[in-house]
Amino acid sequence: MSNIRIGVYVCWCGTNIAKMVDVKQVAEAVGNMDDVVISKDYKYMCSDPGQELIIKDIKEHKLNRVVVSACSPRIHELTFRKALENAGLNAYLFQMANIREQVSWVHVNRKEATKKAIALVRGAINRVRWHEPLEKRRVDVNPATLIIGGGIAGMSAALEIARADKQVILLEKEKELGGQLRFVNRTFPDFIPTSDFIEPMKDDVLHHPRISVLTEANLNELHGYIGNFIGHIQTGAKELKVEFGNIIVASGLKPFNPAPMENYGYGKLPNVITSLELEKMLQTGEIRQTNRKLPEKVAIIHCVGSRSSQYHEFCSSTCCMTALKYSNQVLDMLPNSQVYQLYADMRAMGKGCEELYTATSRKNVMFLMYDQEDGLPYIRKAGPKEDCNLLIEVNEKLSGERIEVPADLVVLMVGMEAHEQAKKLGQTVGISLCGNEFYIEKHPKLDPVATTTDGVYVSGSCQSPKNISDSITQAKAAAARILATINYGSVEVEVTTAHVNEDICCGCQTCVRVCPYGAISYIADDRVSRVNEVLCKGCGTCTTSCPTGAISSRHFTEKQILSQIEGVMLELMEN
Amino acid sequence: MEFEPKIVAFLCNWCSYTGADLAGTSRMKYPANIKIIRIMCSGRIGPTFVLKAFREGADGVMICGCHPGDCHYHEGNYKCLRRYKLIQKYIQQMGIEQDRLRLSWISASEGKQFAELAQSMTEVIRELGPCDIKSVMETFA
Amino acid sequence: MITRVNPGLKKDLVEFGLQDWNDCFHCGNCTALCPLTRNDNLFPRKGIRLAQMGLSEKLATNVDPWLCYYCGECSDSCPRGAQPGELMMVLRRWLTATYDWTGLSRKFYTRKSWEFSAIGIIAAVIIAIFVFLLPPANDLASNPEAYLNDQGGVMINSMVTGIDSEHFMDYIHTGDLIMALIIAGFLISNILNMFLKVIINDKTVRIPFRSYFTEFWRLIFNFGTQARFSKCDNKSYWVGHLLLMTGYTILFTMIVAFLPKFQIEEITPWYNWQRILGYYATFGLMYFLIYTTIGRIRKSDQKMRFSHPSDWIFIVLLGLTTISGILVHIFRLTGLPAMTYYTYVIHLAILVPMILIEVPFSKWSHLAYRPFAIYFDHLKKAARKKAAKVQFAAA
Repeated sequence: MSNIRIGVYVCWCGTNIAKMVDVKQVAEAVGNMDDVVISKDYKYMCSDPGQELIIKDIKEHKLNRVVVSACSPRIHELTFRKALENAGLNAYLFQMANIREQVSWVHVNRKEATKKAIALVRGAINRVRWHEPLEKRRVDVNPATLIIGGGIAGMSAALEIARADKQVILLEKEKELGGQLRFVNRTFPDFIPTSDFIEPMKDDVLHHPRISVLTEANLNELHGYIGNFIGHIQTGAKELKVEFGNIIVASGLKPFNPAPMENYGYGKLPNVITSLELEKMLQTGEIRQTNRKLPEKVAIIHCVGSRSSQYHEFCSSTCCMTALKYSNQVLDMLPNSQVYQLYADMRAMGKGCEELYTATSRKNVMFLMYDQEDGLPYIRKAGPKEDCNLLIEVNEKLSGERIEVPADLVVLMVGMEAHEQAKKLGQTVGISLCGNEFYIEKHPKLDPVATTTDGVYVSGSCQSPKNISDSITQAKAAAARILATINYGSVEVEVTTAHVNEDICCGCQTCVRVCPYGAISYIADDRVSRVNEVLCKGCGTCTTSCPTGAISSRHFTEKQILSQIEGVMLELMEN
Repeated sequence: MEFEPKIVAFLCNWCSYTGADLAGTSRMKYPANIKIIRIMCSGRIGPTFVLKAFREGADGVMICGCHPGDCHYHEGNYKCLRRYKLIQKYIQQMGIEQDRLRLSWISASEGKQFAELAQSMTEVIRELGPCDIKSVMETFA
Repeated sequence: MITRVNPGLKKDLVEFGLQDWNDCFHCGNCTALCPLTRNDNLFPRKGIRLAQMGLSEKLATNVDPWLCYYCGECSDSCPRGAQPGELMMVLRRWLTATYDWTGLSRKFYTRKSWEFSAIGIIAAVIIAIFVFLLPPANDLASNPEAYLNDQGGVMINSMVTGIDSEHFMDYIHTGDLIMALIIAGFLISNILNMFLKVIINDKTVRIPFRSYFTEFWRLIFNFGTQARFSKCDNKSYWVGHLLLMTGYTILFTMIVAFLPKFQIEEITPWYNWQRILGYYATFGLMYFLIYTTIGRIRKSDQKMRFSHPSDWIFIVLLGLTTISGILVHIFRLTGLPAMTYYTYVIHLAILVPMILIEVPFSKWSHLAYRPFAIYFDHLKKAARKKAAKVQFAAA
């Protein structure tokens, strides 16, 4: 008779699970399995009373293994591990069965869903039986921070951290700081000159004793883990080796290039310019056609490269309001001109934006709607007798009419896209990209600042297109997270590492060759391989490669996974 | 009774398991025949797990990892790919159709692709019918 | 077919009373709740859009503004306060000017000075005719008894010097007929112009020849009953408008066709058909006048919140005509020949310019354009129906 005592808890998650899975039946079905002492269902396991229930049972029934069958472990595994610790049990004597994201939300047949839930819980019970207590390890945190990108996000984060008297290394790949805002004349919806805040900010960053700015610099390589990273930074011909504890990736964006879109004739037709080129004109204070004449009719085309199945499906989020900003700026500089806005949808979310739209709509601006699916606007050169340079043909959506818009100057509102180097940088620091090549945050709602790699945070438009205030918000949030870690002084690190049973190890060094982190070294004296557990991240590749079975991955041992497979199939055999 | 395929899916924690979770949060539907087992990296998957699943009565096995170049552990998925080819050969020699084992790349944002994959895998296995390797092995045992 | 947008139309429409321009962002609430709009003919939204984009040719072929009777529900429920109902009103003014080939309508709508001068000139001509050709009898004031009939009422055709009562009646009746011919000439030519713009210039439809006859009853029916107006949610507007319309039509017909029958020397008894009809018409006009005057001052009703100068000129002229007409009647009955003469002259000096200006060139032209718009709309509908049938058969 084993001394393993398992408690099983099946969560209703309100109706999220209970609607599709018969939770009572699940709890009953697994109640008579070997070693299962108690099996219960409860409305919300993650709630305080739910956790109390586990803690109470652990004490009362002397449980030494716990299985919670609820949502994805990605969401609440840590919550329940903490509950185990509160009850005096090692956090790793716990296993979750995901019966929400992978059962109740994806299946439609209650009977089948219940059957599958039972199988998954049985798998978890089988697995938890073989769990071993693992001791948590903490490592000291290097208080320096590496920030990649010297745009508004990077600089905001740098100042925030430096003001707490912590060292910052700010990498900028260009010659000067400022990022995309160097090319922007004023903000929306309040028309503040960007130089009013960008210049003082650059000054602060450059002169802050705690910030070392490296321009024309790139991160070549990155080693280490949260709290103890080592980066190889290329500046000019030199390569520096720098140590730091955390990283903020704020590598920014790149404007979409409209040249491949034939309908706009960008680069071929004179007087068809991008929003950035208009910004340049606004900066010099002169809006002129290529023949130096003042334009009388200015057309602004929205969504160039954005929200289209052909180019980028996402919305660049700032162009609508920027276009309204341009309308106002153009009308200020050329009061007798007529502005046309060819938009796909007017998106005016955010403080003061709807007001900007309403105010602009009362000016000399004609709003024309088009539908990307119904053909993009087509620009052609106007004949010599026309009173304009260009003619834009488009199917106007709200009237259903095919119309022609005369223009002297056409401004293409180009969207943001991910940087060319985003992918490479992501691979270097170990964070992944979403389908649109922006970096993926750890959780879209609950943790939009961190990434799946501990110690690496994202800020600004490298995560998704953002306006200035959102970029700063995210940058400061990342800075606060890092300061909290630095303040604590140490962080918990992965304990689910690999380790070598040196009695069995034959010294073939297969593991040394497969380890992506160089965490395994061959000890020639003992003729065995040994794992540096600080460097190991627990992927398990070495475990599978080991011909003798000397290496095992903690918390993902052969025994645990094979038992889980048995458990999952157990229910199926009863059919 | 109609044949209900039993399929075990090994999903890496960073991309594919998250992608499968996304299918759930997006309320996409796929057959209940797929039972998911979470591992940290597809590079952890070896012949033992696959054969164990068939041995325990699975009619199909799915392995999902990050897309090439996106592996959280840099290159675990490449190692998985190599092993997959070897395991394919091996199970064929054992008399298991190669379609019963499938390797697919599912990123964290590909909930839809995961649901579609689960659907198509179930259909393929339903077409193939039950895998008899378990009874064969029991006969010889 | 491609049409060029024209932001200049905006300035033009502002002169016709347009308020806010781009407030509408096309949510479509107005059109969703309009009881008159149809699936194949969506207003007011479509009209607003065409106006915003300045597609004047499309607007000229579009009769939608005439199909709206301005109950005001659309404006009430507009989330942006864009006043779609008022825009339809503005478009009706603009269309009236567009149909008018003389260009006078545009001048009257957009320049108050033109309208006032025109009224003044016509009034002066009428007064001059009376002063020089039909002056009052010398003893009209000193010897009123001579101008009274047996019942003690004023003999209305015998108040002038130099000509007898029969000739006086001839003068006035001929004048009436000339006036009727002038307005008919302008109206008919303008309606032909409307036909040209709405039917001939719209290349998207081909009207089946038969339909011109089969749909003709709608013209008469809608003119007589205003049946379309009764489909608006607020029925009281329709009742009020019907009273005004019938009253006006009765008076106009009596004046033009039957003047010698009722402008006679003796006073007919109160139950005589002419007097009953006259009283009914007067009641209709007065009801409408009081209702709209109060409404436009108080701005209580959506449809009366915005008043263009042409609206007030119309009310003032109609009011003065009605009141002077009532006074003529009272002075006749009470036996005051001098007062009768002067108020009679004033009555004509207001009535004639009102009819000559309002009916062909201004607000009152809708009496013709509305029923014709409904007729044309049904012609187009018939054409579309036939085209669909042909297509179906071909398929």
